[in-house]
Amino acid sequence: MRHAWTIAAKDLKLRVRDRSAFIVGIIAPLGLAAIFSSIFNPIESFEFSATYAVVDEDQGIVARQFVDVLDQFGEGSKADIVVLSSRQEALDLVDVEPFSNEESADAAFVIPAGFSDAVQSERPVEIEVISGQGGVGSGVAVAFAEQYASELTYARIAVASFENLGGAGDRFASGLRAASIPPPVLLDSVEVDNKILAGKTFYSAGLAIFFLFFTIQFGVNSLLEERHAGTLSRLIAAPLRRSSIIAGKAMMSFVLGIVSMAVLVLATTLLFGADWGNPFGVFLLVVAGIFSALGILAVVAGFARTAEQAANYSSMVAVVLGFLGGTFFPIGQAGGLLADLRFITPHAWFMQGLGDLAGGNVADVLPAVGALLLFGIVAGTFGLMGLRKGLQP
Amino acid sequence: MKAFTIAGINLRRFLRDRSNVFWVFIFPILLILVLGSAFGGSSDPRLGVYNGGDGSLAAELVGSLEAQTGMRVIDFTSRDDLLVTVERGEVEAGLVVPADYDADLQSGIPVPVELLRRSVDDAQGILGNVQSALTQQSIVLRAARFVESEGVGSFGDGLDMAQVVGDNVTDVAVTVTAAGESVGFFALGRFDASAQQQMLLFVFLTSLAASASLIQTRRLGVARRMVSTPTPVRTILAGEGLGRFAIALLQGLFIMVGTLLFFNVDWGDPIGAFAILFVFALVGSGAAMLMGALFENDQQAGGLGVLFGLGLAALGGCMVPLIIYEFFAPTLFKIAHVAPHAWGLEAFDALVIDKGTLVDTLPFLAILLGYAAVFYLVAIWRLRKVLTR
Repeated sequence: MRHAWTIAAKDLKLRVRDRSAFIVGIIAPLGLAAIFSSIFNPIESFEFSATYAVVDEDQGIVARQFVDVLDQFGEGSKADIVVLSSRQEALDLVDVEPFSNEESADAAFVIPAGFSDAVQSERPVEIEVISGQGGVGSGVAVAFAEQYASELTYARIAVASFENLGGAGDRFASGLRAASIPPPVLLDSVEVDNKILAGKTFYSAGLAIFFLFFTIQFGVNSLLEERHAGTLSRLIAAPLRRSSIIAGKAMMSFVLGIVSMAVLVLATTLLFGADWGNPFGVFLLVVAGIFSALGILAVVAGFARTAEQAANYSSMVAVVLGFLGGTFFPIGQAGGLLADLRFITPHAWFMQGLGDLAGGNVADVLPAVGALLLFGIVAGTFGLMGLRKGLQP
Repeated sequence: MKAFTIAGINLRRFLRDRSNVFWVFIFPILLILVLGSAFGGSSDPRLGVYNGGDGSLAAELVGSLEAQTGMRVIDFTSRDDLLVTVERGEVEAGLVVPADYDADLQSGIPVPVELLRRSVDDAQGILGNVQSALTQQSIVLRAARFVESEGVGSFGDGLDMAQVVGDNVTDVAVTVTAAGESVGFFALGRFDASAQQQMLLFVFLTSLAASASLIQTRRLGVARRMVSTPTPVRTILAGEGLGRFAIALLQGLFIMVGTLLFFNVDWGDPIGAFAILFVFALVGSGAAMLMGALFENDQQAGGLGVLFGLGLAALGGCMVPLIIYEFFAPTLFKIAHVAPHAWGLEAFDALVIDKGTLVDTLPFLAILLGYAAVFYLVAIWRLRKVLTR
């Protein structure tokens, strides 16, 4: 054990002197996190807002009610409602060039003349929605109109049934009474925990775990560098066990990983306002994450013949796993085959663990921690076999 | 023609390294495939549905949700599954149809249907769709309850009558008229946007990574030995620059042709597209020469190369489309144009979205040439001093 420490301490000193580990482990992820969070913050803090125009060509009793309900909807959902007097005006307002600073509307509702009478008869009747192209705003408008039209259809059927069974009275008044019958199906909106990492946190965490593999690689591959430099034979010749050499390299990689992750967690929290979540949960994930990286990179190093090859292979593995694991893009939210495939990478488990931690409690990280440890154990076993073979004099 | 010999050696050295073959040719195509299939498809909001009931009304409700436009429905087999999927943002909202949906609805008991959502904003687009499907389905039952409450018949009478009436009354319809220009970006093919973005990202990134070999050339004394031969410094610099440029051009061409063949990516007018690539390869190789001139340690240059390569690409719209900046953060849209990538992407917009030709890209190409000129001039000025150091 003492020998392992000596080797680890010597390697750490070397790494500190050579600034590469510092650049890869701290400067690069921190710099990218700064760029990403400054790009994505304004996008994320964007809130839904829309402008809708309404043209009442009917001026009847039902049409006026539509405008009232639309006004209420607007207040409830941060949408501005503009009342216009002609369909052409509405068309012009919706039909503006994208991103011009002209006044515009996301969609317009047109209630045709004769609407109120037609609704209270059996004649076909329609509400027109002039919809802009794309954007959430126009979709919401169409859904609103559909919903209102369904209400009117219901009122028509209810009042007709009522009258057919002998009911009488003013049709509009009957319609209002019908509308006050609560719908038999109640939509019960439940706000659930949010396990999506906020942008700043997502990019801080994603870049940290992405570059962690590069940092750890410095440690794992130093074994091959020793061989290249001829110092490995001297270590083997020295009165120490071979497992001490490997243990020393592993310890030094672990320390590099812990230090860089600790600096990144602290710095992104203080500088960019990233919210990593419960510190103990984060600690568990980070340690398990480092363990998985050690295992996987040991396999890669075991396969490589030279230090250069090992460095090349490990960057390939780190980048492919990182991208697939959704450290740059939230692949899980995209869905599909890829969203399932990402779980073959430790990165995906790390990110999911952090997300679950954000919307839950410390116990929620355990599945992710377990998966990461499993990566470390399985890969590490193979890696050790390969590395020991390389430790022949 | 010694410059070409130096460039040729650079190119050969680069290609002989098999890991470079992976980075330059395989990885970008792989990434375009991944990003295109993950994010290039429909952007309609997703509604997860767990149907706990087994009756025909429950099935009809799910059917009418599936028939709604502007939303995708994904089936789930348990409420817990649905809940965690909503929490993790893998669907925008979730609808839970209870087990006794049919029975309760038919006996007139109000049925609560849970809509799981993370926040009000996420489910905006879906809420209206769900409500409209629910209203639609409960019309007959609700009309029966109205008849009952008005005292003109029993719930059963109302149900029978409403069914007959419902078959004869036409629905109040909604017609949708599309107006306004469609935002061109949304008309792009599945892989088009990510192919342009990744092509620019990689041409620049690979160039920066190749700056490490320029530093090696200096540090290993190769440059000194070249200078000791009867070769003017400008020839050596031209050769080194040309080598970087050839790598960038080769990679860009490979990505263009590869994505054209495999994913049918629309690159617009071929002459215009080649011109953009040509000029952008100049920018990339210029930046590489600059990095190679400014840094002494190839490992440091490698790390910073990744930082600048990814950072400038992200800023310049290669990760989040410029149109999103323009829409959500107009100030950032201006800042984005510090990165040459933004000008390259705008040039592609002129070709692909606006169906332009080489002429339409010229303003953007001029700006990119400006970048290349500045990078090369500073690099040459600096390299003249440090080439032999």
